[in-house]
Amino acid sequence: MLNQRLTNQLAQIVGKDNILTSKISLASYAYDASPYQGRPGVVVFPISTEMVVEVVKFANKHNLPIMPRGAGSCLSGGAIAPEGSIVISFSRMNRIIDINPENRIAVVEPGITNKQVQLAAEPYGLMFAPDPASQNISTIGGNIAENAGGIRGVKYGSTKDHILGLEVVLPSGEIIVTGDINSPLEPEIDLTYFFCGSEGTLGIVTKAWLALTPINPKVKTMTAIFNSLENAGSCVAEIIAKGVVPTTMEIMDNTVIKAVEDYLKLGFPRDAAALLLIEVDGFPSDVETQVVSILNAFTNNKALSYKIAGNEKEREDLWKARRSVNGALGKLKPANIVHDIVVPRDRLAIMLEKVAQMAKKYGIIIGQVAHAGDGNLHPTLYYDHRIPEEVEKVEEACDEIIKETIVQGGTISGEHGIGIEKLKYMPLAFTKQSLEYMQKVKDAFDPENICNPGKLLPQIAED
Amino acid sequence: MKKDELLEIIMSCNRCGVCQEVCPTYIVSGVETNVARGRNRLIRLGLEEQQFNLDNEPELEKIVNECLLCKACEVNCPSGVPTPEIISNIRAHYTTTKGLPWAKKIMYRGIFSDNRKISLIRNLARIYQKSGINKLVKLAGLFNKTDEMLPDLPKENVRAKLPVLLKNFERPKHKVAYFLGCSVNNFFSSIGIATIKVLQENDCQVIVPDVNCCGAPHQSAGDQDEFIRLAKNNIKKLNELDVEAIIVDCSTCGSIIKEYEKLFANDKEYQDIIAKITAKIQDISSYLLSIDFKREMGQINQKVTYHDPCHGIRFLKVKDAPREILKSIPGINLIEMKEADMCCGGAGSYGIFNPKLSRDILARKMENYKESEAGILATSCPACTMQLSFGLKLHKLNGQIKHPVELLAEAYELKKI
Repeated sequence: MLNQRLTNQLAQIVGKDNILTSKISLASYAYDASPYQGRPGVVVFPISTEMVVEVVKFANKHNLPIMPRGAGSCLSGGAIAPEGSIVISFSRMNRIIDINPENRIAVVEPGITNKQVQLAAEPYGLMFAPDPASQNISTIGGNIAENAGGIRGVKYGSTKDHILGLEVVLPSGEIIVTGDINSPLEPEIDLTYFFCGSEGTLGIVTKAWLALTPINPKVKTMTAIFNSLENAGSCVAEIIAKGVVPTTMEIMDNTVIKAVEDYLKLGFPRDAAALLLIEVDGFPSDVETQVVSILNAFTNNKALSYKIAGNEKEREDLWKARRSVNGALGKLKPANIVHDIVVPRDRLAIMLEKVAQMAKKYGIIIGQVAHAGDGNLHPTLYYDHRIPEEVEKVEEACDEIIKETIVQGGTISGEHGIGIEKLKYMPLAFTKQSLEYMQKVKDAFDPENICNPGKLLPQIAED
Repeated sequence: MKKDELLEIIMSCNRCGVCQEVCPTYIVSGVETNVARGRNRLIRLGLEEQQFNLDNEPELEKIVNECLLCKACEVNCPSGVPTPEIISNIRAHYTTTKGLPWAKKIMYRGIFSDNRKISLIRNLARIYQKSGINKLVKLAGLFNKTDEMLPDLPKENVRAKLPVLLKNFERPKHKVAYFLGCSVNNFFSSIGIATIKVLQENDCQVIVPDVNCCGAPHQSAGDQDEFIRLAKNNIKKLNELDVEAIIVDCSTCGSIIKEYEKLFANDKEYQDIIAKITAKIQDISSYLLSIDFKREMGQINQKVTYHDPCHGIRFLKVKDAPREILKSIPGINLIEMKEADMCCGGAGSYGIFNPKLSRDILARKMENYKESEAGILATSCPACTMQLSFGLKLHKLNGQIKHPVELLAEAYELKKI
C-alpha cells in the first residue's frame, strides 16, 4: 500500500511539480471515457524514459500496481486506475523527436496526440494511417495499447500495421527496443506485436517509431440511401468483391439517420433503413474506375438515391452526418455504452438486423454505426443510469449482442479493447487454450502482475 | 440554477475528453483537473456529496476559479456541455455562501461598480506610474511584476474628452449609441477615441450614454447580486435611446450585455426590453462592414496579425469582420498566426489571481505571435490588449497591440495629411 513515506519517495524521483497526491486531484484520474471508476493512489508525470524506469523500479520494489495513461479516452475501461495504483500520465512526454520523410518514419514520445502526428506529417504529403475517431486527443501510446483502428482501417489496417519499433520499459525496470526500425521486413520474432493491443498489461511504451504512409492525391466521397439493411449489406459485399478497397465505408441504421436528420436537417428521408458513406482514394484514373464500380453496386442493390461530393464543401457536408452521430444521439439519454463487435462482412446485414430487433425487444434506443468495410460494428445503447430497470435491460441487451456476435462467427472487439468491459466475454471469444497462452505471455513480461492488473485477461481478474 | 438542474446539465458530459484539445489550461499544464471534463467531474462529485463536499474543499474552489471561461470547450463539445455556465453557477454559489474574497470585493464592488471610483483609482495609478514610485516599489521587490500588467495610463479618460470629441451632424446618415466600457474609457482611451472618430468619419451621429460597468468582472467572480444591479441600470439607460445600433469596441462588454437575457429569464417585461437592446448590439467592425464604411484612406505599411478575443469569436461570434477591416487598409499585410482563437490568458483579472497558468498561456500566445513575424498584433478587447502588451514586455518582443479601429482611424487621418 502507498503511504505518506512512499509517496514522498516517489515525489523525489519525479520532482514535486510532476506528482499529484490530493484527494481532489486523484478523483480527476479515476475515470476514462468508459462508465467505470477506479481508485488511483498517486499520479506521476514523468518527463523522460529514465524517470519512467525509476518509477517502475520503485513500484516493483514495493509491489504497487502501475497504469500508463494517455488522454484517458478509452471506451472499454483500459485506463481505469487499479486500486492504490501509480498512474503514469504521459501528458509531459509528448514530443515529436524526429520526422524523416525519405524513410517515412516519425519518432515520437507516447504522450503526443494522433492529430499532432498527422499535422507534422502532412507537409511532407504523409500521414499516420490509424485514425481513431478520438484522434484529436487520443495519444500514440494509447493507440498502441489499444491497437486503435479508425475509419481508414478498412484500407490501411490498424495501429500494429504501422509501428516499426518500440522502446518499452518492462515491469522489471529493464528497457527493450523492439522491431527493426530500418526495415519494414522483419524476419525475427517481432516483439512489437505483443505490445500492440496489450492494453498496458505487458510494459510501458516510452518511444515509438511510426511508419508514415503517403497521402493519395485524389479523394472521392459519396453517400447512398437504402430501404433495407439487407440491400445495404449486400451492396457492401459487392463493392469489396469487385476488388474496390475504399478508405471509408460506413453504414448507419434508421435510428441514427432519424436522430441525425432531426438534429441537422440534411435532407435524408427519416424512414430510410440504411445509409452508406463511402470514400475512395488513389491516383485520379484509379479513383474514377473505383467510383464506376461503386455506382454500379448502388444500382444493382436498389439504392434509393445517391450523392457524390463535387468539391471539398460538399464532401464536408456528407461527412457531417457521420461526425454528428454522437452529438445527435447523446441528446436523447444521459448515459450510453458503445460496443465494438466484429463479424465477417457477409454477416454484416444480418447482424445489424438482429441488433435492431433487440432494441425493439428490450424497448431501448440502440444507434448503429458500423465500419462496414471490415465488419466492425459500433452499436451504441442509450440509457438513463439513474433508472435501475433501464440499466438492467441494457446489460441484458449487451450480453445478447455479444452472444449473437459469436454465433455469427465474429469477435468481441475491433478497436476499443477489452479493458474491464469485455473481460467477462473473453471465454466466449477465445478457447481455454488460447487464454492460457495469453496468460503465459503476460507472465513472461510481468510475473508479479503489477502492470495494469485487472484488465484484458479474465484469469487475472479472478485472482 | 438549482442543484438538480445543474447536475442534469453536467451529466450530459460523457467524459469523451475532446475538450483536452482546446482547453488552454490543459494545453499548458497537461493535468486533468485543468480541463472541462475534470472540472465537470469534480463539481458533480461535490454536488452529489459522495466523496467530498462542494463547500469544504479549498482545492476544488481553486480548480473552479482556474477556468478562463473562454468557452473553447463548449464550442468544441460533441454534447454541447455549457461548462462556462456551470462554472459561473458554482462561483455564484461560493460567493453567496462565503462572500467575495476581500481582494475581489475591493476590486469589483469597490471600484468597477462606480465610474467615479474607477476614474479616481486610474488617476492614483497614473501618479504611481509617472512619479517614479513604481520604480521604488520594484526595487523593494513588491508586487512581483503584477504592476507591469497595467498599461501606461492616458492623461484623461475618454468621458472627460467627450465635449471636444463628439460632433453634431445636421443630417447624419446614421444615428448610433456607443457603449463606452470602463476599460476603454480609463485605460485604453485611444481605442475609444478612435471608435468615435471612425464612426463620425462615416457620417454617424454618435451618442455616448452614461452607462456603468457591464458587470463582466462581477459575473466572472460570481457576484450575482451586483451583476443584476449593474445590468438593470444599463438596461434602463440603453432602453431610452433612439438609435439604429448600439456599438461596442470591447468584445467583453458586448458579450455580457447579450447575456443579460439569462439574468431575467422569469421576467417577461425585462425580457422584451432586453431583446430589443441585444438586437441593436453590434461590434464596431461588423457595424462598419454593414454600413459599407468609407474606403478612402492613407497607407499603413505593416505586417499585422489578429488575435481573436474569446468574447469576440465564441460569444459574439465575430470572426471575419475585424479581419476585413484590417485587409481594407492599404499597405496592411494580414497574416494568420497559429492558434489565433486560443485565449491569451488575460480573462479579465485572471492573471492577477492565477499568475502561473495565465503566464504559461501568454507565453504560448507570444511564441505564436513571434512566429507570425507580424509587427502589429491586433485585437478587439481591452482585457486582451492589457495581457498582450504585458506579454510583449515580459518576453521582450517588439511590436504594438492595436484595435482594428485604431488602425482604421490612423489610416483615415493619414489621408487628410
